Amino acid sequence: MNEFRKGGRDPLDEALASLPEDVSPQRDLWPQIRAEIEKTPIVAPVRESPVQSTWFRLAAAVLLVLATSFVTYYVTRQSMQPQIVQNTPATELPAPQVNPQPASFSLGPERLGAGYMKTRAELDKRFKERLSTLPPADRTKVERNLADIRHAADQISKTLAQHPSDPLLQDLLMSTYQSELQLLTNVSELPTAGSMRTDL
Amino acid sequence: MRVAVTVAVALLLAQAASAEDVEKRAQADPNGEVVISNVAGEVQVTGWDRNEVHVSADLSDDEQRLEFKTSGARTTIEVVLPHGGHSYQGSTDLVVQVPRNSSLTMTTVSADQTIKGVRGMQRLQAVSGTIDTELWNDDIELKNVSGEVNVRGHSGKGTLRATSVSGGLRLEDIGSEMDLNTVTGDMTVRVSELSRARIRTTNGNVELRASKVTDDLRIDAEGINGDLRFRFPRTLDAEFDISTFNGEIDNCFGPKPHKTSEYGPGNALRFKEGNGDGRVRIKALNGTVEICNR
Repeated sequence: MNEFRKGGRDPLDEALASLPEDVSPQRDLWPQIRAEIEKTPIVAPVRESPVQSTWFRLAAAVLLVLATSFVTYYVTRQSMQPQIVQNTPATELPAPQVNPQPASFSLGPERLGAGYMKTRAELDKRFKERLSTLPPADRTKVERNLADIRHAADQISKTLAQHPSDPLLQDLLMSTYQSELQLLTNVSELPTAGSMRTDL
Repeated sequence: MRVAVTVAVALLLAQAASAEDVEKRAQADPNGEVVISNVAGEVQVTGWDRNEVHVSADLSDDEQRLEFKTSGARTTIEVVLPHGGHSYQGSTDLVVQVPRNSSLTMTTVSADQTIKGVRGMQRLQAVSGTIDTELWNDDIELKNVSGEVNVRGHSGKGTLRATSVSGGLRLEDIGSEMDLNTVTGDMTVRVSELSRARIRTTNGNVELRASKVTDDLRIDAEGINGDLRFRFPRTLDAEFDISTFNGEIDNCFGPKPHKTSEYGPGNALRFKEGNGDGRVRIKALNGTVEICNR
């Protein structure tokens, strides 16, 4: 609640008006300030040691690679989902623009990209070379095992085409492709009679 | 008749004459490495308490040669075949003694491997032959194509990594950590304590029994065609996540699985037992998954 004198002026305004407009320092402070500044050494910013810098850069690079891989994986996975869904029309919704899938449709290994297919083809070549040196009975067994894996992958991929959002089938399909690569690798690296020393 | 007997005796005598027994020995590092390769026949390796490697070879004929050399802590035993060895029909049996704590690397083709009392790390690879070995406190990595694998452990700390193509795995009292793969073949695993297991099979049944599990149990199992059976101790702390695309889930712990689809054959089961500290993840395409605590 403000109180006004009869003159109509605020007492606070009166108090402010009574203050001097300019205050002069008691003495000149600047020489002392300069002296203090000159006493204080100028220190350049500490440079990070090369080791720390290298580690930091390495960590940043690893982080970047991880982040990029994750984003790539995520985007690839996301981009595959609509394709799969698109290929299998939902029963509830009319989808006249989508043609029925051909009988040969499947989520084959070619979906894993050209790099994978190239590596697989190279491994397959080495596998066949090694396989030809195995005893006939073992060769038959290995061929049968590889056929089993490929048959399993084929069956899963066909089933996955009917149930495209099934994470279990997706996991098992990837796992089966890994098993195939592992078999190709293991047999390629096997010791065979031909690879053992025959220098007599 | 008399002529036939005479010819047979002559052939036997000729074979005996051409067969050769070779024996070699050398001082060896007690913690050294022994590398053995043999194409056909049988290899028996035994760990002993002497600091020497001894080999006795039964060469089937004089076309083969046994190479035995030591370089530093490494001893190499190799059966060298004549030229064109891949079509060679002979076989050699090797009986080898090595210092008990040696590590062992062995590759064979058409040869059985039997290893007893060797406590160092082992890397075993075989084509068309059975592998029999023991697991102690060091790791074993083995790969076999067309043959059975039998590992008997001593409840040690060693990790077992085994891959078998067309052949079963029979593992008893092995360590608490394992990574097992079969393409075609059954797995039978018995462990006194289980901590980590990664299991993959394409065609084959899996049966794993653990008398005890660690608090941080981790099991990751996948099967394409075959039943997966797990027997756990009566009490454990673990979270289970099990799903099958075409198969039943039998659970002795109590909770019942649910159908993943109204019309499909798939089942899923997620539940927590005890504190749920461990993780058990099992996925199967065609086959029953059974988990039990008795």
